[in-house]
Amino acid sequence: MIFQRKLLAVFALTVLVSVVAVAWSISSLTRKAFEKANEERTAALVAQFRHEFNLRGEDVARRVETVAASEGATRMALALSHGSPDYGAYLNEARSTADNQELDFLEFIDNQATIISSAQWPAKFGYKENLTFISAIPKDAFLKQEELPDGAALGLFAVREVNLGEKPLLVIGGRRIDKDFLASLQLPAGMRAMFYQNLGAGFSPQFLIDTSGTVQQPDRIAPIIRQLQQQQRETTTLVHWSSNEGDDESIDAIPLTGRDNQLLGILLIGNSRRPYVELRQRIRSAALLSGGAGILLAILFSGWAAARVTRPVEQLARAAREVASGNWNAQVTIPSSDELGELAETFNRMTRELLAQREHLVQAERVAAWRELARRLAHELKNPLFPLQLTVENLLRARQQSPQQFEEIFQESSSTLLAEIANLKAIISRFSEFSRMPQPQFQQVQLNDVVQNVGRLFQAQLRAPEHVSIECKLELAEPMDLIAADPDLLHRALSNLVLNAMDAMPQGGTLTLQTRQNGDLSFVEVSDTGAGLTPQECERLFTPYYTSKPHGTGLGLAIVQSVISDHGGKISVRSESGHGTTFVIELPRNADKLQTADQALDATARSH
Amino acid sequence: VASSLVCILDASAVARPHYGGTLHVEMRAAPTSLDPADSNQPNWIESRNLFSLIFDTLVSLDEYGKPEPALASSWQAEPGSQRWQFFLRHRATFQDGASVTPDAVAASLRRTNPTWKVFSEGEAVIIERDSPAPNLPAELTLPRNSIAKREGGKISGTGPFAVSQWDPGKKLLLAARDDYWDGRAFLDTIDIAMGKSLREQLISFDLGKAQVIEIAPEQAHRAVAEGRHVESSSPVELIALVFSRDPRAPDDGRQRQALALSIDRELLNTVVLQGGGEPGGGLLPNWMTGYGFLFPASIDLGLARQVRGEIPHTTSWTLGYDPADPTARVIAERIALNARDAGLGMQIASTSTTDLRLVRIPLISLDPQIALGELAAGLGLPPSKSTFASVDELYGAENKLLQSQRVIPLLHLRTAYGVSNTVKNWRMARDGSWRLSDVWLAAEKP
Repeated sequence: MIFQRKLLAVFALTVLVSVVAVAWSISSLTRKAFEKANEERTAALVAQFRHEFNLRGEDVARRVETVAASEGATRMALALSHGSPDYGAYLNEARSTADNQELDFLEFIDNQATIISSAQWPAKFGYKENLTFISAIPKDAFLKQEELPDGAALGLFAVREVNLGEKPLLVIGGRRIDKDFLASLQLPAGMRAMFYQNLGAGFSPQFLIDTSGTVQQPDRIAPIIRQLQQQQRETTTLVHWSSNEGDDESIDAIPLTGRDNQLLGILLIGNSRRPYVELRQRIRSAALLSGGAGILLAILFSGWAAARVTRPVEQLARAAREVASGNWNAQVTIPSSDELGELAETFNRMTRELLAQREHLVQAERVAAWRELARRLAHELKNPLFPLQLTVENLLRARQQSPQQFEEIFQESSSTLLAEIANLKAIISRFSEFSRMPQPQFQQVQLNDVVQNVGRLFQAQLRAPEHVSIECKLELAEPMDLIAADPDLLHRALSNLVLNAMDAMPQGGTLTLQTRQNGDLSFVEVSDTGAGLTPQECERLFTPYYTSKPHGTGLGLAIVQSVISDHGGKISVRSESGHGTTFVIELPRNADKLQTADQALDATARSH
Repeated sequence: VASSLVCILDASAVARPHYGGTLHVEMRAAPTSLDPADSNQPNWIESRNLFSLIFDTLVSLDEYGKPEPALASSWQAEPGSQRWQFFLRHRATFQDGASVTPDAVAASLRRTNPTWKVFSEGEAVIIERDSPAPNLPAELTLPRNSIAKREGGKISGTGPFAVSQWDPGKKLLLAARDDYWDGRAFLDTIDIAMGKSLREQLISFDLGKAQVIEIAPEQAHRAVAEGRHVESSSPVELIALVFSRDPRAPDDGRQRQALALSIDRELLNTVVLQGGGEPGGGLLPNWMTGYGFLFPASIDLGLARQVRGEIPHTTSWTLGYDPADPTARVIAERIALNARDAGLGMQIASTSTTDLRLVRIPLISLDPQIALGELAAGLGLPPSKSTFASVDELYGAENKLLQSQRVIPLLHLRTAYGVSNTVKNWRMARDGSWRLSDVWLAAEKP
């Protein structure tokens, strides 16, 4: 992974972790705050309900007191004290009085618990009312379950007594706890009140109401009701109304008991969790948005920072590559004074010093080469010149001392002179040839073909009877890539290597020409089974004019190295004393040069 | 002396009948048709009274249920009482001025009685029945047999008043006919407002906006106590429990018997209805038949429980009532309580699909035979024969209807009207029918 990507990943990860941590923290805090607010709101609502309940109780008690003090109740009490009342006269008394006092329940009852008039059940006149739960006239209102013609209802009741004679008249009035009662509760947004009228064991959906009447999906409430029926203790339960989490509702169930502590009803305070879920979703959305924006910013910032940091490094790398490729003039321009700027300056100083040292080295090598050339020339020229000098001196001496033999000596000396002059010309010709090495003309070349041509050329020579026994083996790999090369120069280079190998085996041996492909590189190996070379010889082998042979010029391997180098390849030697020598040529495909060669070929073809 | 003479003359002038004035009447009923043959109209007592102002029947009944001449001056039956001849009164005309002819009368009767053979023969109207019909004159007193002429969608009667304005279900304005065969009514017009609740009527009455209003039977006692003038009829409206089907099994019949025994009719009458009716165990009131007391009407809770105890498994019934009638609800609730005392389960409901219903059915005729037949038809009971030779036969027929255990009679209610003191010569038949032809209005005292 490149440095820029690493930097980007680090930045993005940092931003992401930060956003997630912040979002989680906010979400957690929000949940706790919501739970706390929920508890507070529920507690407030329960307190409000109890307050409303007490207010209603006081209101009911006040209304019942008003009824007890009314003229109708007085008249009824007086009639009661005079004997059995006329039920017909009071049939509608309770109902009309209840209507006036806005009471849902009202009954006038004599001291024998006989109903004289009933608002909620007018036809019940003359029947007995169950008053066993009233040991003494309670001052405050209380919950009571009232039997009605069409069932039963829960109400908030108050009792007052009218004592005008020996037979007291009881006035029992109340208000129904129903959906209107629930609707009168001032509920905060997101909260609702439900009420379950506990008329028996188990759960009956028709007894569960809210402000709109019946409650949808009452079966979800049933477990709460059953739990409360068993424990009669306030509970809080989370109800899942649907798969949508926003529909969840936290429900507090509060038991409502009568004077005999019997569970008469259950108040259910529902608190929607939708606000919390929506808030949490908003936090998540904000976190996602922030995370996305942070990552985007991280990309941009890391790109900018990486570019700021890596551009000088890339420039340095590019310059180093140029130096490696031979351009020692490469310089890096980084206008900063930090460590990178110092590094760039150091690099530039290094290249400048390398360049200077190379110049010195080239100068030294050039001087050395000239010296070597002069030494070689002197050596090469000295050998023919010495016989020439001796021959001329012999001629002069023969003319002076033996004129009769001069002619014979002259003939012999002329032959010698001509031979040595020819030798000088050959020496000069080889030097001239080395100086005129041509540039390779690239074309598509099958290396195996070149090697086969060389082998074929020398096999005929090796099979000659006068020649020592040298076996020539060709080990060619198939397939070999086509490479761009100059086949003539390669042929010449290989020929030089083969000649060297033959010279290295004066007693005969085996000459092996081998090709192989390794990736984009093609290899040619020329091996002999001669005496081999010492490591010192191997080091100096490719130095021009170095030769280990008595009649060599030292230019053969230099020419080979020059050819291979012009092809972008390398030549190396592997030898062990007594075990022969192997020259290894490594040639690239030169695809670029191949395209150039093809284009040139096409252009030539088009021109024709 | 002079001033005393003037006062006497003035007093006699106030007490003397005189023509003119408008009688304002209010009623709960809201009929949408004035055609007595319209079988879709409820059989309200008020509708009958309205028809009697606009239409005549060939025969009417007197106070004792005896037929007397009306549009027909006389009639006679041929032996076997299958063919009857009715001779029309001369000078009788319809409200559009056309004379009442035998053909017109025959056409009117054929419309309401398609099974009868009715035709004119000279000055007489001939009615031929498939079977002997000795009670045909009483049958002709039913409102549906009122004589009417129907032409071009308009209906015209021969009654003492003609329709001046008709807003169906809301208002009816009648004007006295000068050419009425029995003489012009004292009143000039009668203004009838319909669809008024009892409370609205009472307010109008107390404000002097209405001179004749309905009073609920249970309110009559109180209305009198509060100083209003109340005219009540004999008990003419039956309150009964009607089962939706015949008993399925003997136990079902015994359960019905237990229910009938458990109901305290007396307490219903005295408390719930404030004495506005009479407890009764029969379909027809005792004043009409004279044998009504023979049907047990008193509560016998012990026997009810005993009968209940003989039933291994009882059915819990639903008792329906008219939700628009608050008294009916109280009666239904009381019956449910009584039933519970006897060990019977019963729930009240205001729906129509119940096991039994509390119904109120008016007696449509003063003739007991006609009344019983109409009552049986109204209750959905099997029809009884319409002619009885004796009271014994009538008793037997009624007893048979009761033995079917489809109906449990409870009470017979009176019809009561609040009548203003300015309304003079107010007369009402025992069945609650108005006799407004002779009513006149006294001048209001300043």
